Amino acid sequence: MNLMRRCAIVGLAWLVLCTAAASAPTDLAPAAPFRAPYLPARDDEVLQEVPSTTDPAVAGMQRLRAALDTAPRSLPAAKQLADAYVDYSRQIGDAHYAGYAEAVIAPWVQASPPAAAALVTQATILQYRHQFNDARVLLQHALKMDPRNAQAWLTLATLDMVQGDYKTASQDCTQVTNTAGVELGLGCSGNLRSYIGQARQSLAILHQVEATVAAAPAATQAWVQGLLAESAERLGDWPQAESHYRNALKLLPQDNFLLVAYADFLLDRDRPREVLPLLAEHTQSDTAFLRIALAEQALQSDQLQRYTWIMAARFEALRLRGSEYFGREESRFALHLQHDPQTALDLALRNWQLQRAPWDARVVLEAALAAKQPQAALPVLEFLDQTKLEDPLLQPLARDLRAELVGSGR
Amino acid sequence: MRPFDLALLAAVAWLAAASTAVAHSASDAYLTLTADAARTAGKITLHGQWDIALRDLDFVLKLDDDGDGRLTWGEVRHHQAAIERYAYRYLSLGDGPGNACAIKPDRQLIDDHADGAYAALFFEAVCPGPPHKLMLHYSLFFAIDPSHRGIFVLQSGGNVATALLSPANTAVELKP
Repeated sequence: MNLMRRCAIVGLAWLVLCTAAASAPTDLAPAAPFRAPYLPARDDEVLQEVPSTTDPAVAGMQRLRAALDTAPRSLPAAKQLADAYVDYSRQIGDAHYAGYAEAVIAPWVQASPPAAAALVTQATILQYRHQFNDARVLLQHALKMDPRNAQAWLTLATLDMVQGDYKTASQDCTQVTNTAGVELGLGCSGNLRSYIGQARQSLAILHQVEATVAAAPAATQAWVQGLLAESAERLGDWPQAESHYRNALKLLPQDNFLLVAYADFLLDRDRPREVLPLLAEHTQSDTAFLRIALAEQALQSDQLQRYTWIMAARFEALRLRGSEYFGREESRFALHLQHDPQTALDLALRNWQLQRAPWDARVVLEAALAAKQPQAALPVLEFLDQTKLEDPLLQPLARDLRAELVGSGR
Repeated sequence: MRPFDLALLAAVAWLAAASTAVAHSASDAYLTLTADAARTAGKITLHGQWDIALRDLDFVLKLDDDGDGRLTWGEVRHHQAAIERYAYRYLSLGDGPGNACAIKPDRQLIDDHADGAYAALFFEAVCPGPPHKLMLHYSLFFAIDPSHRGIFVLQSGGNVATALLSPANTAVELKP
């Protein structure tokens, strides 16, 4: 069969000819923990953790699915289910559910004209996948149809904050106040101030919000606690930050985002031993897995090579599917676990084009220092000057890089 | 605060978090075809291995019978026929209408990937030959998860070619 021998596949879209792209990284192959396809020996062998139907969140999603099945044309029913899927996706750190949400909401996104509410949900899914520009287009479209859509303004505010456009985010927060009320507007601007050199005011505002949400659902309270922890970190107030992280985790013990943020806090405080039990049940989440690997490294574990191999294989699987939204995590992996500062810097700089949260700045600064390329960090140093972002972990890095720039006569 | 505000505030919670919450990779399946150099009676045989995540199969087929969140080999084995019926509905190979390759399911094993255990479906595709062109059509999970990707690998002799199957790219043409 000539076509096969010549290796000519004409893909209708993306294709790569004659590559070995499907293989896992071969340079790490000796540590491969995997085996060839096999027949498990025993019926009671556990192969895979899956969402349990005893989990109230899973039961809740099943109820919402049943409700949609009985009213398949109901946008509110679809939106509720899609939002529940996205929420669950975030909580357990599993993007599959964001995909399920997308399918649920698709008929209303693709309708002509689309439903504004559906566009907002779709935008949050895209944002979750770090497709920020596509998300922004949908939000602007939704707001054109429904200028008082509070959730759209909130999502836009978050998007602008993630991308470091604080001036626009401030305007978005004003719109949040106008459309959703003062409390949410305060939450919005409280969060914003932590990025623009006003962490102390941010804490004061968020403490105010904390008091107003005392009777709110756990997720809401946990969100405020998480923001408080972040603002306390800006000020280098580690005990306060830790207490807010712990409060948040008391409210939402399984939340992937909070667990990972707290794990980063522990790693920075030289407490890797505490990271392992914290994340032991969350190895399926790639973000959690990276922190476990970093903790294993700090503890000089003999399992480190295995963790590094699996992490590399997971990034490779992401690359294979054409996904590129792991820049921040992958840069940390390249720098700290693969000891490849140049790759880390390339990844960090590409990620910087996409998002500009404090951690995004940090991976650039760390990689630029390690790669001895201080000039590569200039865009981030300028950003820090402009925004006056307070961060006791970033400042020494920035200082060292500036000293190197001066030393090299730039 | 009014309940309306609280609902919105809850929405902010995960929106804000989304900024750093890149989590697990989304759904992937791995489809590998190996061309058989030998021909029998002018027919071409392709050997297939299709790895589909047990998590994905559990979502559509409810494999976890006791609902305890721990999927065992016994539970997977019990659903093998359903897995086969479901999966092969979304895969076809052929040389135009009326000239489809016959897909003959073979054994099912388990294959470990970096993100979990997969059902490994082995099959043979017997195609009428010699074809002018061979089209592969793939639509697994697209209707329930548009972010699913099929990672297709074709092995022939010493050569390897790959293609990414997505809702925007459900077909691959193998051309002489």
